[in-house]
Amino acid sequence: MRLFSHIVLAVLCIFYFTRSFSQEYDFDIPEEEEAKIEFNGNLDAKWGLLRAQRSSPFYAVQFYDVPEKDDYLSQYRLDFYLNGVYRHKQVGFFIKTFYQYAKEEPLSPSFFELYGSLNVSPRLSMSIGKQRFNWGKGYAFNPVGYVNAEKDPENPDLALAGKPSVYLNYNRSYDSRILQNWSLGAMLLPPEADRNDRFASAEHIGAAVKLYFLIKNIDLDFMATFRKDAPRRLGLDFSTNLRENLEIHGEFSYAQDEKKYVAADDLITSCKMDGGSYLIGLRYLNRLNTTLIAEYYHNNSGLSENEFRAYLQYLRNSVESNRAEMVDAAKGNMSIIFRSKTLMRDYLYVKLMQPEPFAWLYSSVSLFTIYNLSDHSYLISPQLSYRPYTNFEFLLWPFFFFGGNDTEYGNKPFKSKIEIWIRFYF
Amino acid sequence: MHKNRYVYFLTFLLFWTPGWGQERVATDIRANEILKKVDENLMPLSFESYRKLINEEPDGSKKEFIFFTVKKGKDKMAMLYVSPASEKGRATLRLGDNMWLYIPNVGKPIRITSLQSVVGGVFNNADIMRLDYSVEYDAAILQQTPSEYILDLKAKTRTVAYDKLKMWVDRKSTMVTKVECYAASGTLIKILEFKNIKNFGDGILRPAVIETTSPLYRGYRSMMIYSNMKLRKFPDEVFTLEYLSRLGELR
Repeated sequence: MRLFSHIVLAVLCIFYFTRSFSQEYDFDIPEEEEAKIEFNGNLDAKWGLLRAQRSSPFYAVQFYDVPEKDDYLSQYRLDFYLNGVYRHKQVGFFIKTFYQYAKEEPLSPSFFELYGSLNVSPRLSMSIGKQRFNWGKGYAFNPVGYVNAEKDPENPDLALAGKPSVYLNYNRSYDSRILQNWSLGAMLLPPEADRNDRFASAEHIGAAVKLYFLIKNIDLDFMATFRKDAPRRLGLDFSTNLRENLEIHGEFSYAQDEKKYVAADDLITSCKMDGGSYLIGLRYLNRLNTTLIAEYYHNNSGLSENEFRAYLQYLRNSVESNRAEMVDAAKGNMSIIFRSKTLMRDYLYVKLMQPEPFAWLYSSVSLFTIYNLSDHSYLISPQLSYRPYTNFEFLLWPFFFFGGNDTEYGNKPFKSKIEIWIRFYF
Repeated sequence: MHKNRYVYFLTFLLFWTPGWGQERVATDIRANEILKKVDENLMPLSFESYRKLINEEPDGSKKEFIFFTVKKGKDKMAMLYVSPASEKGRATLRLGDNMWLYIPNVGKPIRITSLQSVVGGVFNNADIMRLDYSVEYDAAILQQTPSEYILDLKAKTRTVAYDKLKMWVDRKSTMVTKVECYAASGTLIKILEFKNIKNFGDGILRPAVIETTSPLYRGYRSMMIYSNMKLRKFPDEVFTLEYLSRLGELR
């Protein structure tokens, strides 16, 4: 009997301990979470035929080393964009890569964006890495785009590279008819590594801040940027719908100690100046479904007519000198200091877009012009887009440049060009 | 005799006109109540849903888009393009009369107009990002039959896409069955037909299909099909420009 009671006790103990053991280490197998990694992108196959303007000093500098000067040039390239997103709860990882194939050689990716983000709450978020920001309300130009990649007004919708930054945003909404939402975005902009390709001076860390308000039906932004070796800039922009088919927008930027480069004889000199750049524009849709975008842009640090003439003369002098080092210096200045596609002061941008004209399904046509108000030169570019299949697009895109001697568009390296794009999305 | 006629007429006006005014006010209140009930039946105050938009062309070919939509209150709505790949990541936001479009490549939201069509076809932005009818229109009862009301809706502001709507409402369920959209000139712009009443759960019973045709686009037809409509609460900050690029987090 005693033995039996010991056995029962032992069994109970074993049962108890194994039970508690199994309870402590037991777990529910979680259901497999759906992967939140997504990839997408597009492949653009582009072919262009360019009509050279051999009298242009830009052409002469760009093709100085090329012994055979052709009247027509052909250009074929493949632009490949691969984007990836990974999201898990509050954490996100984003990558945007760009590869360009022009000839048979190893391809290396350009990282347009590469950053991680943490959404602490719907109100508070932060991100670190290389990220693209696009400040300003203008379509073709953004005088307040202090942290933007330089926009190409000939193709404002082009994907562009971001900048390394540490970004913090606070966003707050109100159930009010007047102030409905405001947000504060602040960022630190580390300088590019220029010491042994790894380091940079900590003194050159930049900062930028943007304050946004939605007041009644008006978007309003105030922004500023500061960096030791760069001009201080303060700006504002706005956008609002005046009617159901009419939107107006504007930007104003004041820069202090902005560097302006001018050419004098065989030299490029710089001076510092204060002043404002601005933009005013509208977007209008008529009953025929035609959209009009019109913008006037004043660039305070742009070249005057005389300064542009002097720059052309500088390029001509460098070619006529027949000295490789002078041409190389001019080429370097052309791609760094004077790389903008709108070098002068006052421009008018007008674009008309018509989807499915003449009831031609899946097509859209557009026409834009950039008119240089200082020297009265201009470019005109119609575009035809056709999307007969899902995720496929065909683009026919000619450009024509017009202008007299010593004018900006009259001296482009090509008189005209036509591009054919075939685009696949995936 | 003539003098007496005027006296009778003036007496009649004195007693009849205020009564007529009161009756009219009463029917307008009733019409706006019906309209609010129509809104409640169509869209819960705060929800998420997937929608498939099919644009049918005269030659029979189709284009399809899928959107993820979130809505809060009477005038906040955001929408993310889920497919096709060429549109994926685009997002639109509507706050009252304001509408913005975010394109990933462009990297910032731009203001768009309600009359514009982001996806082509017969539906425009105002149809796809439609708010409650009672937010945008004042109603009056145009006609009543034993089975339905016909409401006359007039736009409250000039920023609304259509100046006038004529709405057919099923009397028993207070569910909209058809809407005709008119321009200020009186031209019929499009006809929306609400079909296939479906129980989505959470007490949501509404038409799952909206079919649209337009006398201006002969042979074209657009259909919007609702799926996975669920009640869901969102903070106000989801409906902001800053959040547009993050909408995918809500899926």
